[in-house]
Amino acid sequence: MPSDREFKTALLFLLPLLLTVLAFIAVPVAGTIYDSFFRDVTFLPRRFLGLENYRSLLADRAFYQALLFTLLFTIASVPLEVVLGLVFALILNRPLPARGLLRAAVLIPWAIPAAVSGRAFELIYNFSYGLANYLVLTLGLSDAPVNWLGSSYGAFASLVIADAWRTTPFVAIILLAGLTAIPGDLYRQATIDGAGTLQQFARVTLPLLKPVLMVALLFRTIDALRVFDVVYVITGGGPGGSTNALSLYGYQYFLSGDFGYGSTISVVLFAVALALSILYVRVSGFGRELA
Amino acid sequence: MKRSAVWILALCLGLLLAGCRQQPEARLTFAVGGAPAELDVWEEFVRRFSVQTGIAVEMLRQPTDSNQRRQGLLIPLKSSQADPDVFLMDVVWLAQFSASGWLLPFDEAAAEFFPRVLDLVDRHGGELVALPVNVDAGLLYYRQDLLDRYGFVGPPATWAELVAQARTVQTGERSEHPGFWGYVWQGAEYEGLICNFLEVAASAGGEIVEDGNFVLDRPANRQALAFLTGLIHDEPISPPNTFTQMKEEEVREAFQGGRALFERNWPYAWAQHQAPSSPVAGKTGIAPLPHFPGEESAATLGGWHIGISRYTDRPEQARELVRYVTSFAVQKEMALRLGWNPGRRDVYRDPQVLAELPYLEQLRGIFDHAVARPVLPYYTQVSQVLQRHLNAALAGWVPPEEALRQAQAEIEAVTARYRLH
Repeated sequence: MPSDREFKTALLFLLPLLLTVLAFIAVPVAGTIYDSFFRDVTFLPRRFLGLENYRSLLADRAFYQALLFTLLFTIASVPLEVVLGLVFALILNRPLPARGLLRAAVLIPWAIPAAVSGRAFELIYNFSYGLANYLVLTLGLSDAPVNWLGSSYGAFASLVIADAWRTTPFVAIILLAGLTAIPGDLYRQATIDGAGTLQQFARVTLPLLKPVLMVALLFRTIDALRVFDVVYVITGGGPGGSTNALSLYGYQYFLSGDFGYGSTISVVLFAVALALSILYVRVSGFGRELA
Repeated sequence: MKRSAVWILALCLGLLLAGCRQQPEARLTFAVGGAPAELDVWEEFVRRFSVQTGIAVEMLRQPTDSNQRRQGLLIPLKSSQADPDVFLMDVVWLAQFSASGWLLPFDEAAAEFFPRVLDLVDRHGGELVALPVNVDAGLLYYRQDLLDRYGFVGPPATWAELVAQARTVQTGERSEHPGFWGYVWQGAEYEGLICNFLEVAASAGGEIVEDGNFVLDRPANRQALAFLTGLIHDEPISPPNTFTQMKEEEVREAFQGGRALFERNWPYAWAQHQAPSSPVAGKTGIAPLPHFPGEESAATLGGWHIGISRYTDRPEQARELVRYVTSFAVQKEMALRLGWNPGRRDVYRDPQVLAELPYLEQLRGIFDHAVARPVLPYYTQVSQVLQRHLNAALAGWVPPEEALRQAQAEIEAVTARYRLH
């Protein structure tokens, strides 16, 4: 148990951080929740609505479409990114020639702003002069160009690929940090005990990597739920609204001057992200290792 | 040690508060967005205005993207900030901005502007709250050389003629250009789709608002949407990516690259098509968009309008700036240097302008047939719903009449929240 004085000193050092969190996170979140109970439309008088906005949301078909897309997008992209990231991390953890250079190179997609890489992928998927159709036609896989974004699953898969390309390096680097922290002795010992590569991976690497893996999963899940830029740039929510993400849907309402309903959508998105985060922490027991 | 920590904390707070402190603004702020080259011309105008009048103006450079420009105005206006004093607005924001009470009315007569444009969008509750700086309308671009080669006398007057000509030329050209298409237009899920749909619907005698009520599920609207869907799936003379990627620039590039016979686009494409480096320079013509038999052709109204903020702290100077921007001399220069279609009608009769931009002669007539998108403060919400359903029909997922029925129901549900007072 830290002494009273130690506690006070610690608090003092934490105060700037706490104030920043309060000013830039807690206050805006509380403000958004507050606004969601009002009719806050620029061209109408402001009025308290209670839960009316939420009732409208429950009857809003476009909302369910956006919610479904956002959840499916998260379910599809996060495991893909984490598995690929783990593979990259394992490769980069091997003694390779020019390992430093390789590690830096892997980070490049992560360093490119999502809007820019989104634009690049939009060009790859372009019907008339995109790389994807060039390859398909040159390799003779199809005799006519393919409209990649033209079906709902095509558009969905295209978005997941674009997102995975950009964020896999992030997962890889976090996991690589975790891998480097595993003492080499454990592997030598496992070898002496007769464990094969797969067994070592399952019994040594994975359990020790779990806390870091949970951090990567948590970050990616929250980020995937809030997906905006990739969708905005590549499909704009189309075709037929099939890739409309929740954040994009909320943004459309803010832009049109309906801050109350926009806030309501944001609050639901926040609640989904919070619930999933709590679930992760509960299921994994993440954080207990640190205590 | 404790004391130094307190000092650091105080410093942090001090810096934070200093950032929030209001600076007293001694100059007029004018928010303009656009391409960097356009903004440079604007800056020159603003400099000249300051020299002429002695009024200091700060130009707030906004991005090109119209959503970001809107966001940049929405935030200061919602929080009743004095700046920006004067700004440019997309024609579809006018109803919302005016209903929100953000625009200061003008009191002067505006005889030299297109009366139809002023009546459609700039007047709200009998008051003039904005003036057109530039006006846009949908046009048909065509390849004169190809029409000649295949023996067609002129551009199509009806949609049936457009389809027939496009089919013939497309079949003929395909042997050498596999990626050649008859007609390219904007069908992606965005605002441009509404513009395209509205003008085809109007050219079938359709409309989507009648006496303030939405009337989407009407025969003319069904005919228009079925026609557009057919262009992609039945004929097909429009490429499959029409409903996924075709926006203004993609359409312009297809036509300019010699990959299309007809193009629907805004007037800005003309200057680009006629540029010396363009493969279609000297081979391009413009015409009003076709129509269905017995109806008239229509063009959706676009463009940017200037307005003064209700919260301005120097209304007289702001009016001075608006007078300057909408003056004959400045509007003429905008046309000559930026290729913009002026909001003032008298510029379209100027011999020098007509010598350089002969197509303005034709445009003048087109603005008299312009159709406005619904002038409602909640238009954006309506547009979002409509975009989704029209796009789903174009994708071939939903039959046109079903898409319009669904859109009608959803629009009624969404707008009900804004109609209750």
